Amino acid sequence: MEDIDAMFSDLLGEMDLLTQSLGQETGPAADLPSSTKEVNFSTDYADWNASLNELEDKDLDDLMSDLMADLNATEEKLAAEIRGLEAPTPPPPDLPPPPNGQSVQAAAASPSPASLASAFPPPSSTTSPPPAPPSHSAKPSKEDLEAQVKAEKIKLALEKLKEAKVKKLVVKVLMNDGSSKTLMVDERQTVREVLDNLFEKTHCDCNVDWSLCETSHELQLERTFEDHENLVEPLSAWTRDSENQVLFQERGEKYEVFKNPQNFYLWKKDKKALKEIKDKDKEILIKENFCGSSIIVPDLESVLHLREDGKKSWKQRLFQLRASGIYYVPKGKTKSSRDLVCFVQFDNVNVYYGKDFKTKYKAPTDFCFVLKHPQIQKESQYIKYLCCDDAWTMNLWVTAIRIAKYGSLLYENFQTAQKKAVVNSAWTNRSTPSSSNPSTPSPTVKAKAQSQANGHAPKPPPGPVSQDFGHLPPPPPPPPALNDPLPPPPPDPVFPPPPPPLAAKSSPKAVGRQQHLQGNFPPPPPEMNNLPPPPPPEESPPDFLPPPPPMNFLPHPPPPTSFGGMDQSLPPPPPDPEFLPPPPPAPHVTGGGGPPAPPPPPPPPPAPVPPLQAALRPTGSAKKMPPAPPKRTTPVQGGGGGGGVDLMSELRNAMQKKRSNQ
Amino acid sequence: MAAWDLSVIVEDLGPDAAPITISVASDLHIGGVILKLVEKLQIQRDWSDHALWWEQKQRWLLKTAWTLEKWEVHADARLVFMPQHKPVKLGLPNGIILKLRACFSNPVFQTVMGICRMLGIRHPEELSLLRPVEEKKKKKDKDLSEDIYDLTEVPLSSVSRPCLYNGMPPHFADSDKLEAVYKMLSVTQPPPAPEVIAKQYRPASVVDKAHINGRWLDSSRCLMQQGIKGNDRLWLRFKFFSFYDIDSKYDVVRVTQLYEQARWAILLEDIDCTEEEMMLFGALQYHISKVSQSEPQMLCSNAALDDLETALQSLEVKMEGESSSASELLKTMTAPDLNDYLKIFRPKRLTLKGYKQYWFKFQDTSISYFKSKEESIGEPIQQINLKGCEVAPDVNVAAQKFLIKLLIPAPEGMNEVYLRCDNEQQYAEWMAACRLASKGKSLADSTFQSEIDSIRSFLAMQKTNGSQGNAAASDESINPHSLVSPRYHKKYKPKQLTPRILDAYQNVNQLSLTDALMRFLQIWQALPDFGLSYVVVRFKGSRKDEVLGIAPNRLIRIDLGVGDVVKTWRYNNMKQWNVNWDIKQVAIEFEGNVNIAFSCLTADCKIVHEYIGGYIFMSTRSREKSEKDPLLIKHQLR
Repeated sequence: MEDIDAMFSDLLGEMDLLTQSLGQETGPAADLPSSTKEVNFSTDYADWNASLNELEDKDLDDLMSDLMADLNATEEKLAAEIRGLEAPTPPPPDLPPPPNGQSVQAAAASPSPASLASAFPPPSSTTSPPPAPPSHSAKPSKEDLEAQVKAEKIKLALEKLKEAKVKKLVVKVLMNDGSSKTLMVDERQTVREVLDNLFEKTHCDCNVDWSLCETSHELQLERTFEDHENLVEPLSAWTRDSENQVLFQERGEKYEVFKNPQNFYLWKKDKKALKEIKDKDKEILIKENFCGSSIIVPDLESVLHLREDGKKSWKQRLFQLRASGIYYVPKGKTKSSRDLVCFVQFDNVNVYYGKDFKTKYKAPTDFCFVLKHPQIQKESQYIKYLCCDDAWTMNLWVTAIRIAKYGSLLYENFQTAQKKAVVNSAWTNRSTPSSSNPSTPSPTVKAKAQSQANGHAPKPPPGPVSQDFGHLPPPPPPPPALNDPLPPPPPDPVFPPPPPPLAAKSSPKAVGRQQHLQGNFPPPPPEMNNLPPPPPPEESPPDFLPPPPPMNFLPHPPPPTSFGGMDQSLPPPPPDPEFLPPPPPAPHVTGGGGPPAPPPPPPPPPAPVPPLQAALRPTGSAKKMPPAPPKRTTPVQGGGGGGGVDLMSELRNAMQKKRSNQ
Repeated sequence: MAAWDLSVIVEDLGPDAAPITISVASDLHIGGVILKLVEKLQIQRDWSDHALWWEQKQRWLLKTAWTLEKWEVHADARLVFMPQHKPVKLGLPNGIILKLRACFSNPVFQTVMGICRMLGIRHPEELSLLRPVEEKKKKKDKDLSEDIYDLTEVPLSSVSRPCLYNGMPPHFADSDKLEAVYKMLSVTQPPPAPEVIAKQYRPASVVDKAHINGRWLDSSRCLMQQGIKGNDRLWLRFKFFSFYDIDSKYDVVRVTQLYEQARWAILLEDIDCTEEEMMLFGALQYHISKVSQSEPQMLCSNAALDDLETALQSLEVKMEGESSSASELLKTMTAPDLNDYLKIFRPKRLTLKGYKQYWFKFQDTSISYFKSKEESIGEPIQQINLKGCEVAPDVNVAAQKFLIKLLIPAPEGMNEVYLRCDNEQQYAEWMAACRLASKGKSLADSTFQSEIDSIRSFLAMQKTNGSQGNAAASDESINPHSLVSPRYHKKYKPKQLTPRILDAYQNVNQLSLTDALMRFLQIWQALPDFGLSYVVVRFKGSRKDEVLGIAPNRLIRIDLGVGDVVKTWRYNNMKQWNVNWDIKQVAIEFEGNVNIAFSCLTADCKIVHEYIGGYIFMSTRSREKSEKDPLLIKHQLR
């Protein structure tokens, strides 16, 4: 036991160092938020600091939040949640540092420093909020907590030991809207896991088309990662100075073959017949080709243009796809199998879409695909370039090659993705009604509101705000996009409204929310225990509410103006945020689904706001809900650093205590 | 009622014996006739399997309660009293002939079920019987081999279904002889000698391939009705290429025979494949034959897990194995050292220097080289990470050339590096190490040693095949020509073939026997032409012969002139099909008012009819899992 303790404190010490260096960096770094380069570092623990140095402030925050999530390795789900929740916080980078530098930083970095606090007392101390609440909540079951903490520590230590060897990458993922998210991915994580992670961060609709894509700048290539791949491996092949990117996008072609198998397996039939195919027949096709004892590859044969080695010319050849590879029919030979010449087998190559090859390589069309070893990053004779007559043919080939290469994995991936999407949509449906009332999303809302606040604060009030507004309309559809750069603002606007609507809907909302909490989240997550027991909710809210307000406050001023245009409801937001203890239902929720807050401003004009919210909410809320611990969310964001009602902060505090005792 | 004389030939008395005449009346039922007959024969024996066969009408009088009148049997009827089960010489998919007693009185479909039950093959609806292709004069030694495997002694009543005893159906456990039969059924045959493959008939065209399908027996009529006599030859083959629910535990015989059928289909080019695919099939055959010789017991014990005792036993063994593996684990944790002087050459570099010798060291998945052993403590001249690289052999044992060709991926492309070893042992070790490294495994991996062994045995193959000849080569000396179709016998010499097969072999050499068999079947099933049974037909309104390909999910029309598929129809769009037996024409209607009709030239239209009906039935199997359904449904097809 002692050993472990010792080990643990060592680890913590290391963490301290790390975070301290982080702290130093954050300060100065804060003023360079602007342009973001695509950075990708392969890191061992050893050169972590080095790579961290290169990170920008915002990235750091994100990263730290991820790290903290890691900390909580035992509570996997929780961790996921945290990450999801913390996502919204990124705004900090946008803040011009000087004026409110300190406070902003605290607020902005809230999740990370706060979470780090557990590891090291100093930084946390600067921000007064965090410590306060914890102590509060800690009271209830101190012994339990300690025991738990101990267990936690052991697990953590063991986990850390294991992880020390695991390779990790800091990956910047570009969103549709040009914003980006920075995550830490370890080599054991599959693309599926990273996607799930991103789902939580972005509140997108989780449909099966969401993909991670890799682009190769130099070769003008693009491919979607398969869900079962480990993300770190292909990224490790990138050269250090590469301008390659990882994108988070909806790619319809990813699983098109399972949605419309006829287009691939019956491609010879006329297109009209294919369109009219019955669902039953689609099922049969999938069953025949993917559920038998052997995966059947579409029977493809077409004339493609092949880029000749070294030469600039493209030559036509008749290519055939077989499960064992791509073949071509040599001149003057028949198409019989034995005469076919193997062009490429799939063991060592991946298939990529080529972009703009007409210009780059004088290809006959822009519908090109490429086969190459994943490690090849520069032009080389070992890359095979093929060009199709049309997009349809290209998709046919690329998909069929993937089927040949990955076989049943592809179908399994699809099924997993589909389950994910179904669960999510179920949630969405469920929560949509409630989503109309802002209540459900409230946790998120709050979080975002706060972040928004931060985002706004720095900017000259009116200007940026109005800008944001311009952005607002578009954002709704792609909620994920809402995130960092511009995003912060968009969400905010939306969020600010929430309070009002909340208020407006007050009664329905309150009810709705409660139902949510109690009904939808099966058992109140374990955190519940740590939460200030229901009885004192009244007290607790005020408690931690205060801290956040200051931060929010700074930012808030601007929003009102901006929102003013938007909503009548806006007026309320400013006051409500946290100052008034009772109004914001959010705190209540936090309180652990405690008694419905006496909804103060009842004006029920939710209508105006809804559109936006509707767009954002459903998805967001949907996402949130499934995981489970909504409370968790609230606390983290709500309190910012201060809202230490969640397990994590509890733990942190407990640990701090323990340490100080020792 | 008036009595009259009925004469019955009793087969058991021999071909020359005079018919037995009994006095009967028209209202006497068949049971009574048999009783009278047996009484008159005065021979004490079990007549229970015997029944009356009416020769002129080609039918069995099986309903013993029916009277002679009802059967319309009169005094001129030539009745034969004989057993319903008679021995046949059954050619199995693995080429071996097995003597067993088959039912001659039930429809062939049920006969096949009986045979499969006897052999331990599930899902008999996928198999059927063929009239064999007439073979030219048999040599005597072949007749001998036929007699080795004989199941005629097995009492039919003892054949029960799923339970296993010692890993096999209980009726095989009675004697060593029977156990040998089971072994023949459940263990793959060694690769055939190249001459054996070369001698066999190989279809040269789709039309040739179509002819075999004219030989299927009619599953709704019995063997007697189809002119099969006792001791005739028949072939048992998988007819419907839709293999349901393969379970490696219960389907040992089924999988083995399926593999054999697939293997021969590939060796005899009954199904086309590319050269690359042929090499992979060759590698798998090699692997399977090696593994099945080394672990046949494994196979049995796997299958025997039903038996509690054996289960416990194997548990014990396993535990022992595990405890000892702890120390082994430690051993393997520390990777063996691998370093030596090798010669390196980079063909792509524009230097004229040839192979240069350095001190090489293997670490994890990388090789490093130094000027000399003494300098190996310092910085290497270069370190090459082999992860993800391609490894190809270039070996000629006779010329003592042991080259490892590495194609190493790098951001700029692939780097070619050749490593030259001095001898076999060195080569095997470094080759094995490179292979593992290319898959991202270090030398600590437990497969390192087996990788070395398999490379060495492959080298042995190259060594011995100069003096080929002895038929079913033993383990260490498989002739690579035994693994590929005769086309490649001409194209490549054995020593050219070996590295190619070896190349494919590196991807499969760690598979277990079952996995290797399944992999073979999977690759076979993934061939574009898999599952096609051809029949030459004449489409209505067409003046030329064309070929109809019948697959598990579709029909295809092949133009003989072009040799190309001109049309595909899928069963799930099929509304109905009819056979006009008078003009021997099959007419099919598909959705969307598509009607086709054709007459069959190389096979009876009954065969086509059965194929289509059979596949449609097979596609319903997943839903109706009950065992008796196939029977019912199949019968409805008649």
